[in-house]
Amino acid sequence: MSRRRQLLGYLGSRLLLAPVMLWLIATLVFLLLRLAPGDPIDALLGIRAPEAARQALRQQLGLDQPLLAQYGHFLADLLRGNLGESLTNQTPVLEVIRQSLPASLELGLCALLIAAVLGLAVGFSGIARPEGKLDLAGRLYGIGTYALPPFWAAMVIQLIFAVWLGWFPVGGRFPATLMPPSGSGFYLLDSLRAANLQQLAGSLRHLVLPASTLGLLLSGIFANALRLNLRRVLRSDYVEAARSRGLSETRVVLRHALPNALLPVLTITGITVASLIGGALLIEVTYSWPGIAFRLQEAIGQRDYPLVQGIVVVVAALVVLVSVTVDMLVAVLDPRIRF
Amino acid sequence: MKGLRSLSLLAALLMLLLGCQPQRPSGRLVVGSRTRIDSVDPAATYNFGALQLISALGDPLYAIDARGELQPRLATALPRMSPDRLTAWVPLRQGVRFHDGTPFDAAAMVFTLERFLAIGKLSYLLGDRIVAVRASGSHELELKLRRPFTALPQLLSAVSLTPLSPTAYRSHDKRFLNDRFVGTGPYRLTFFADQQQRLEPFKDYWGEPPANSGLDLVNLSNSTALYGALRSGEVDVLLSTSLEGDQQLSLHQDAQRGRLLEGVGPALEIGYLTLLSDQPPLKNPVVRRAIAHSLDHELISQRVTHGLRPPLRDLVPPSLSGAEPTAWPAFDPVEARRLFEQAGYCRGKRLTLPFTFRSNIPADKLFALIWKEQLRRDLGDCIVLEVSGMESTTAYRQLSEGAFASILLEWMGDFPDADNYLQPLLGCDKAEGQRCLEGPSAASGSFWTRPGLNEELLLSQSLQGQERIELLQRLQRETAAAAPYIPVWLVAPRAWAQTGLNTPVFDGSGRVVLSQLQQRPSAARPGP
Repeated sequence: MSRRRQLLGYLGSRLLLAPVMLWLIATLVFLLLRLAPGDPIDALLGIRAPEAARQALRQQLGLDQPLLAQYGHFLADLLRGNLGESLTNQTPVLEVIRQSLPASLELGLCALLIAAVLGLAVGFSGIARPEGKLDLAGRLYGIGTYALPPFWAAMVIQLIFAVWLGWFPVGGRFPATLMPPSGSGFYLLDSLRAANLQQLAGSLRHLVLPASTLGLLLSGIFANALRLNLRRVLRSDYVEAARSRGLSETRVVLRHALPNALLPVLTITGITVASLIGGALLIEVTYSWPGIAFRLQEAIGQRDYPLVQGIVVVVAALVVLVSVTVDMLVAVLDPRIRF
Repeated sequence: MKGLRSLSLLAALLMLLLGCQPQRPSGRLVVGSRTRIDSVDPAATYNFGALQLISALGDPLYAIDARGELQPRLATALPRMSPDRLTAWVPLRQGVRFHDGTPFDAAAMVFTLERFLAIGKLSYLLGDRIVAVRASGSHELELKLRRPFTALPQLLSAVSLTPLSPTAYRSHDKRFLNDRFVGTGPYRLTFFADQQQRLEPFKDYWGEPPANSGLDLVNLSNSTALYGALRSGEVDVLLSTSLEGDQQLSLHQDAQRGRLLEGVGPALEIGYLTLLSDQPPLKNPVVRRAIAHSLDHELISQRVTHGLRPPLRDLVPPSLSGAEPTAWPAFDPVEARRLFEQAGYCRGKRLTLPFTFRSNIPADKLFALIWKEQLRRDLGDCIVLEVSGMESTTAYRQLSEGAFASILLEWMGDFPDADNYLQPLLGCDKAEGQRCLEGPSAASGSFWTRPGLNEELLLSQSLQGQERIELLQRLQRETAAAAPYIPVWLVAPRAWAQTGLNTPVFDGSGRVVLSQLQQRPSAARPGP
């Protein structure tokens, strides 16, 4: 079988498995939410509402139906692409996701960019003299940034650059005194499209601290991954062969070793993107960044079943998509990969 | 060389970004608070932040002023009652317009109340008391009551009942309208997002126009961020709701040193302990009384809140008519010991009392630890506290199941009236002797009642004047003697402003009067 057909077969099988995976995740979330202690009616009405009012609301929201019936409705709606309405304010779940997902993606992508630039620079810097001072500093940086507790790092950075120095805003996504740009929900993109420099500067100023914090925390992974892979590749036979052909060390590293060392980094990038979509909670909470992870945390606290289910399903779908895309990319770039 | 150029470029970009701080338009103010607002529909929301916002966008029929006195707003006088006190007529103000230009009249008020009864989350507040509403004139509202209800004007001061424009809400009479508000208040809502709202003065406002030229409200999720935002000057005014205790103390101290201005509102929120009164060992009223005597209110107030939450020995906030400020006993370890001994404890037999605190509320945890130590110090041979934490939503679910021997909770009435504090804690729909099987007392986790108590609570709703006050006070003294609850502290809302502004002023319902916030002329910022 040709490699191209193998690749397409692999892609097909991954895509076929995706709905099964999503169904499993959706079912698990549905069940766990209902098994967890706590009642959305308490969150909606408070504990002192009369029983009649509680019953009426329970009936109105369909929470009085048997679990199996609720599950059936949930799956049927899911198949139609209907994620339901938030219990707290009747907003369609898709609308909530449409509002908060761009915020998370914008933060995640900027953080990833910072992490990649910073991490790769640090990882690469020690390669000229392995076990030298620069290499040691890079290793310490990698371990240190990875080990930093995110909320602590975020609060310290916030305190220094926002409260003490006053260089950047303490939180939020946009200046209170300006109207946010309308459009896709990606403020940087929207303000660029509108050619509104004030909006662009406002968005950037709010993005700098959360994105830098997240980027800094993630950069250690990139630094260590690149350092280890580059060292491994630099000891391989084909690099030795290149050296023996009289190529300069710069050319050997940049043209022969680095591209191969970056392949595992690409996989790590994929995993990081996937985890960032729904996982930057501590950064979002610390900087009051209105992203999807923060929204999910709130929805869990309010026992807003449709919202939690909807966010989890959408985030899971995105994670699957990113993961398949990265797998495909690696497979295309690295002919050694077999399926 | 290339690296140096990149670094220079980056530094230049950073400097440019730092220099690009948006200018604030003169006279506009930024107000920060912690509560995220996911709806501005009075029927959908009752969180503090949303009610604070709605109070600036709309007018209720009545309002309670800073002195605690009832003032007509969109009503022109107090309700006129029928001889049997089952019908009330409310005269409404003429010449008032909604933000969409339509006139405010009795039909609009009927629309608002009927919509709230149909879809309001707290519709029972109205539905339990009012049978029907109709327009008895173009500017007169008629309310048919289920039974005589003395606190009707206070009920009608609830922000949830703020009049809405029928024209604007016609297509949302059965659904929430989360991101728009069309009322009659001093401000119009010109932008709404859950983290940011923009308010512009309403030019056709019937009352006194706002003292500022507009407000930008920001809601940050993190207490530290809010604290930092006030410190760095990013916000002009900060509301205390959900701000952590240490930060409130620090801002309070800054205000005392003249670095900030502090406004304090009426203390209408109570913190209290619920004791599970239908199960041993707390089924024994002597044990409950002993616990009431063993709580050192003063110490707790100082150690947990640095005195920002004053001690409370009453279920009704002292500022309300019908309060009995010394109904519950003061800290008296000698009397507590005597009562514990009477119940068979001390001298080698200690009562182990499980105490649950809400783990997501920092003050609760601190209370638990300090009370535990205080009991160990004062009555260590009689009682030991077994402390455990639980997330609040989980705890609320289990409250009515009798899962907690003792738990710290708080309560703030939906409108400021004594009945709104006693009924939700002591009311009982179905009882068996001194055990409440169904109703507010069971939902609150104490399960305590006594024969005739519910009838007296209902009677208190219809009595007036001194007779009502005496009944309310007697009910509290009797409850204190049975001690199914132990009041702990009183929570007053606070707001801090930068020194260039005037001191924030609260109304009698505990909300900052946003329209009165303004920069002092000498401290005005230059315009853009």
